[in-house]
Amino acid sequence: MHIVVVGVNHRSAPIEIRERMAFSSAQVPAALSRLREELGLEEAAILSTCNRVEIYGMLPAQEGAVARLEEFLSVHGGLPREELAPRLYSSWDSHSVRHLFRVASGLDSMVLGEAEILQQVKAAYETARLHGAVGKTFNGLFQRALNTAKSVRSQTAIGRGGTSVGSVAVELAQKIFSHLSGATVLLIGAGKIGELTLRRLADRGVTRVRVMNRSLERAAALADQYTASAVPLEHLAMELLDADIVVTSTSAPGHLLAQEDIAQTMRARHQRPLCLVDLGVPRNVDPTVGELENVYLFDVDDLKGLLDHHHRERQAASAQADVIVDQKVTQFVAWWEMEVRSCEPSSSALAAVR
Amino acid sequence: MVIVHTVSSLLSYVAFLVACGAGALFLIQERQIKRKRMGILFHHLPSLDQLERVNVLAIGLGFALLTVGLSWGVVGSRLLRGVWWSGDPKEILSATLWVCYCILWLARLRATMRGRRVALLSVLGFALVLFTFLGVSWLVPTWHPSL
Repeated sequence: MHIVVVGVNHRSAPIEIRERMAFSSAQVPAALSRLREELGLEEAAILSTCNRVEIYGMLPAQEGAVARLEEFLSVHGGLPREELAPRLYSSWDSHSVRHLFRVASGLDSMVLGEAEILQQVKAAYETARLHGAVGKTFNGLFQRALNTAKSVRSQTAIGRGGTSVGSVAVELAQKIFSHLSGATVLLIGAGKIGELTLRRLADRGVTRVRVMNRSLERAAALADQYTASAVPLEHLAMELLDADIVVTSTSAPGHLLAQEDIAQTMRARHQRPLCLVDLGVPRNVDPTVGELENVYLFDVDDLKGLLDHHHRERQAASAQADVIVDQKVTQFVAWWEMEVRSCEPSSSALAAVR
Repeated sequence: MVIVHTVSSLLSYVAFLVACGAGALFLIQERQIKRKRMGILFHHLPSLDQLERVNVLAIGLGFALLTVGLSWGVVGSRLLRGVWWSGDPKEILSATLWVCYCILWLARLRATMRGRRVALLSVLGFALVLFTFLGVSWLVPTWHPSL
């Protein structure tokens, strides 16, 4: 018995090819039964995400298997095989097991260490199991893949730290206020960045958001799309008293918030902590504001610096993660040799029976 | 009588120790955030508002317990020895301690001061607690039993 993986990912193929290869959740059951009935896979699973499409299979013989799977994928995607084949990668046995374990752990992802892939691998396994496409080997294989991913995430820094400027800002704010859902956010500037920020905040369950803009109509239009309220720029001083987090992203030339203003605000707030995120270039907040007590100021460069720092940490952690993956692969292969492969009737044994 | 005095005084010291610990962690975490460092300390320490909540609650609780402990001491002294106040070094220090934490507690309650300053003062305040609790018995003679 052999385990094979054939697929495309973000490194091997551009988005145009990946989107044609993708399997919708409605297509997976039929594809799984075709893989088993027509291609002779004994066990099968399909992992299809926006960054990768991979078929995992267990089959008795290696000969011609990759060619058959290539043909299957080319028919599925409606792409000529000559065009698709150079984009596909494949590997066997312990290499394919290592590949799956690395994928599940986020080590093969476009954003190193991202956590979403773990859920996607889990879903792929659940679907295959639901449709009777997995047996002893794949149950063991996928459960160990999920287990490996969890070990990697808990034992290394691979999943630590945000992967975008916005998520780094959220991380910082969470170490000031614990729960963002209860925080009041004042958004100054209703441009593209302001809108993106608003969407992220809504995703995080922040409900009290005020949008402030030079043009009140623009602020109102944006606020209406989300559960936010628009406030005129003249109310700035008053809104500053109420807000916990202020995000600025205006293209105003000078400093919108000067040190004296914030110092005065802080006295009126009875020193209640204030988090300022300045996404404007040039900066909207006087940098010396960050020196005030109980004021936490982060500008774009601070956030980008932290983002780079996270990225370096993840890269350093990936070597450590690979050591864990290797251990888990060895353990799986040992289990598989003993539990599954040793039970196979070898050809000589069959001959002896005859 | 003496039991209530001893137990509430000791428990107030425990509360001040908790306030000191939370205050110290607050100072460390605040420094990480101000300096934009997201290292191991940043990830593992609780958020500032959690640390502040523990710090303030512990100061308040400690102050209440110390008040009970001292009043029992004063009343007890009158009943057992016939004097309200004997001017013992430990009594003077304890009264000082009470005044310090009273000021700290009121300042925080009236929100004239918050965050870093309260945390720093609760750490410094505990130095006075240590001196009152241990220092006096060794350095200055007192009739209070040493532990």
